[in-house]
Amino acid sequence: MILRLAAALFALALLYPLAGLFVPVGAWRWDRSATLGAVEVSLGLTAIAMGVVVLAGTPMAVYIARVSPRERFLWQGLLLVSVLLPPLALGILISLAFGPHALGAVLARLGLRMTNTPLAFVVTQIYVSIGYYVLGAVAALDAVPRPLEVQAGLLGQNAWRVFYRVTFPLARLGFAVSLSLAWVRALTEFGAVVVTAYYPAGMPVAIWTSLENFGLPAVMPLLVLFLAVSLPLPWLVQVFAQRGPSRA
Amino acid sequence: MLDAHVVKRRASFTVDVRLRANAGEACGLFGASGAGKSTILACIAGVETPDAGHVVIDGLRVFAPSLPLYRRNAGYLTQDADLFPHLSVAENVLFGLAADSRSEPETSRWIAELRDRLGIDAIWSAPAGAISGGQARRVALARMLARKPVLVLLDEPFAGLDRPLVRDLLRAIAAWQRALGFTLIVVDHQADVLERLCPRTVVIEEGRTVQDAGWAQLRSAPATPLLADLLRPL
Repeated sequence: MILRLAAALFALALLYPLAGLFVPVGAWRWDRSATLGAVEVSLGLTAIAMGVVVLAGTPMAVYIARVSPRERFLWQGLLLVSVLLPPLALGILISLAFGPHALGAVLARLGLRMTNTPLAFVVTQIYVSIGYYVLGAVAALDAVPRPLEVQAGLLGQNAWRVFYRVTFPLARLGFAVSLSLAWVRALTEFGAVVVTAYYPAGMPVAIWTSLENFGLPAVMPLLVLFLAVSLPLPWLVQVFAQRGPSRA
Repeated sequence: MLDAHVVKRRASFTVDVRLRANAGEACGLFGASGAGKSTILACIAGVETPDAGHVVIDGLRVFAPSLPLYRRNAGYLTQDADLFPHLSVAENVLFGLAADSRSEPETSRWIAELRDRLGIDAIWSAPAGAISGGQARRVALARMLARKPVLVLLDEPFAGLDRPLVRDLLRAIAAWQRALGFTLIVVDHQADVLERLCPRTVVIEEGRTVQDAGWAQLRSAPATPLLADLLRPL
């Protein structure tokens, strides 16, 4: 009973910042077009970024999960660099690396601008989230017993069918959790995005500019909407993943 | 039908064994634990890659170079059933069959025979993760035989099972081997198990063949003291 009470206090303390939603800050100001525009930018461009993360990250995760421990150590070390880079530093580095004095010159000739464009927004989101996805997906693949994949091969299934029929179904919850982490990481990213793509403003940047320009009454509706659209999907995935071992 | 020369370095010795078996022949690999028997079988199956040598199955060279597992027409069963836990028993058994072949009358009859003979009818729709170890072993046998492989490799698949079940499975495998004509290679360190399935046995000690003969000869003139000891009743 005492332990349960302690756990409840822990959870209460953890969720306490949400009480801020009920603190009086004056009449909330609802700028419908700016708010919905930010939601649209965030959800739309994050969805595109997640598509790229899955398409590029899944084969990489499969490769890393199958190589020798020494080679895996190398790849995971490199991926960790992207995960551990401070967001603001990553944003500045992306701006420089894709700027006019580097790759940006080539991209400009192709008509692609890497500052304050949807492309810059998506590329930044990919950089901040793909490491989380790949490292999580590798862990999910590690949890699939190798002898099952061998048996599937011996039963006449080629590598793709082994992945589709055995590996992925057994690892799918791990993949979902990894994707939800990447989703949250990308959707809530501020430090890197504010450097590379101040425009189009996604939700984090819109919240920041509202706070700077109009104060808390303008921020609160945006904040509520931000929580409402960013939390449910990863929250449900995480809760589902905690329920038990995967079964397809 | 099977022509194999397996060379594989192990921690304390190098396995270097030649093994030939004709179509429909049953051949045992016998020896003490750690002699290299399982390594030979794993290399033939493709689960391990030999360091040198060759493996030819039914005229197809599967090593060297090493062919992917799915190109080898071989079934491989160990003491781990390795059922797919996210699938039902039925889905496990039918796993290796092409979707269009499952409805063919001959395939349906064969699957029904496997279900009936191996006593897995009652658990046919059960999740594979929810059945007992003995049942799982029978399902794994059915799954392997469902495709009718030309070569069947058994690596101590009966370890840990009770005697009546082992006797029953041995009878079933022997009958199917005669009926289907697959080549059978069995690894076991229990002589009585091998004797029921394989008239001919290759004896392995520290990765080398020390004798290749029928059971009568093995018992009457064992090639090494260790073999004589292994064949002595408890």
